[in-house]
Amino acid sequence: MSYSTFNRKQFDSLQQPMFFGENVNVARYDQQKHPIFEKLIEKQLSFFWRPEEVDLSNDRKDFLKLEEHEQHIFLSNLKYQTLLDSVQGRSPNVALLPIVSLPELETWIETWSFSETIHSRSYTHIIRNIVNDPTKVFDDIVVNDEIAKRAISVSKYYDDLIELVNLYNTLGLGVHKVPDRGEVVVTMKTLKKALYLTIASVNVLEAIRFYVSFACSFAFAERTLMEGNAKIIKLIARDEALHLNGTQHMLNLMMSGRDDPEMAVIAQECQQDVINIFVEAAQQEKDWAQYLFKDGSMIGLNAQILGQYVEYITNVRMQAIGLETQFATKNNPIPWINAWLVSDNVQVAPQEAEISSYLVGQIDNDLDGADFDDFDL
Amino acid sequence: MTTLISKPEHQDREVHRVLLGKKQILVTEDEPLLPQLERAGVQVEYQCREGYCSSCMIKLLWGKVSYPVEPLAWVNSGYMLTCCAIVKSDIEIAML
Repeated sequence: MSYSTFNRKQFDSLQQPMFFGENVNVARYDQQKHPIFEKLIEKQLSFFWRPEEVDLSNDRKDFLKLEEHEQHIFLSNLKYQTLLDSVQGRSPNVALLPIVSLPELETWIETWSFSETIHSRSYTHIIRNIVNDPTKVFDDIVVNDEIAKRAISVSKYYDDLIELVNLYNTLGLGVHKVPDRGEVVVTMKTLKKALYLTIASVNVLEAIRFYVSFACSFAFAERTLMEGNAKIIKLIARDEALHLNGTQHMLNLMMSGRDDPEMAVIAQECQQDVINIFVEAAQQEKDWAQYLFKDGSMIGLNAQILGQYVEYITNVRMQAIGLETQFATKNNPIPWINAWLVSDNVQVAPQEAEISSYLVGQIDNDLDGADFDDFDL
Repeated sequence: MTTLISKPEHQDREVHRVLLGKKQILVTEDEPLLPQLERAGVQVEYQCREGYCSSCMIKLLWGKVSYPVEPLAWVNSGYMLTCCAIVKSDIEIAML
């Protein structure tokens, strides 16, 4: 029932499920039911970065040199990513914190969401550096039809869960009459089903929806264009891969029944819904690729190749949570992207760009041969 | 068949056979499977290369692998993470 910010009951938090058990009380991490979430927190903290560390002065020059249709590709992707991280910077907190029952998971959710706010800040940093009037870019996010379609898909499941949990926390279980909505059935089953679908939809968001944008950013950087942006995207991609791990664990734990036996039943019942969420997202991303390239492609990428990549990455992500793959594409059509997605350039360095582990305090992007003229060996 | 090979510059070390469809690749226990597959010209998906992103997960049809450090990614039975798994016997693998 009603949420308490400090549950006064005495209980063993190791016996609680991830969600819908007791409200959390003492934020303690010396014992954990699922140690993975504590490990994810530590990893995320070790990844900490700030967008201002990345110099974008060359990106501005590059952006002005891009063809008009390439500027469209670049800005559209930034807008879409801004939407995704606007949702992700708040929704895990709003939707999941009121129902979480494990302290390590609660803190993981907060850490995860916080890192998404860094991503949002970095889009502002990029946009402010490359265009004269950022307002034009940001204002379009809410009115652009192509982005709006995706906004509905990425927020729908969160919003359903939040509504049900609000009713549960104020009125409890039962059938409630809600103005403008009619009767809403709040049972443990409808709550848990809404939760499961939300986690699945977030998993898809972080597993697939970012990758068309990532591919375009790295394709520019392969041509030594917009390299500051690529460096930021590399850091974002590293974070997103970790967040993906978080939702994959939640889903796998739920499916296995090890955390909450009732959740395993719900996972079984919802399997087709989850497959549909994956397939729908893949289709939307393929449509998005068509929109990006409507006025022309860029070197190394076109809508068809990106579509195949979306299918491929969807297969990879579905396999990770034990689902049957749904697409025929079994090979990565743009394998060069992995050299950019790798956590750090220790093994395969795209030599033209700076290495992200040397970010802190780095100030100069503009070295040329003349800078070494007065060096004597 | 797992065999023992002797090289003057190394200690005796075990070489295992990795079956992938009709291909057969010989690997050692000196490093994880992923770089060895790459050197053999096999394209494997990867991202983090440190065990948390699960991009490099492939099917392990039979055989034994071990993880020197427990990876952060969830690995279902019948699967393995190539970026951090050491091959410990002859194995058969399959991609997507």
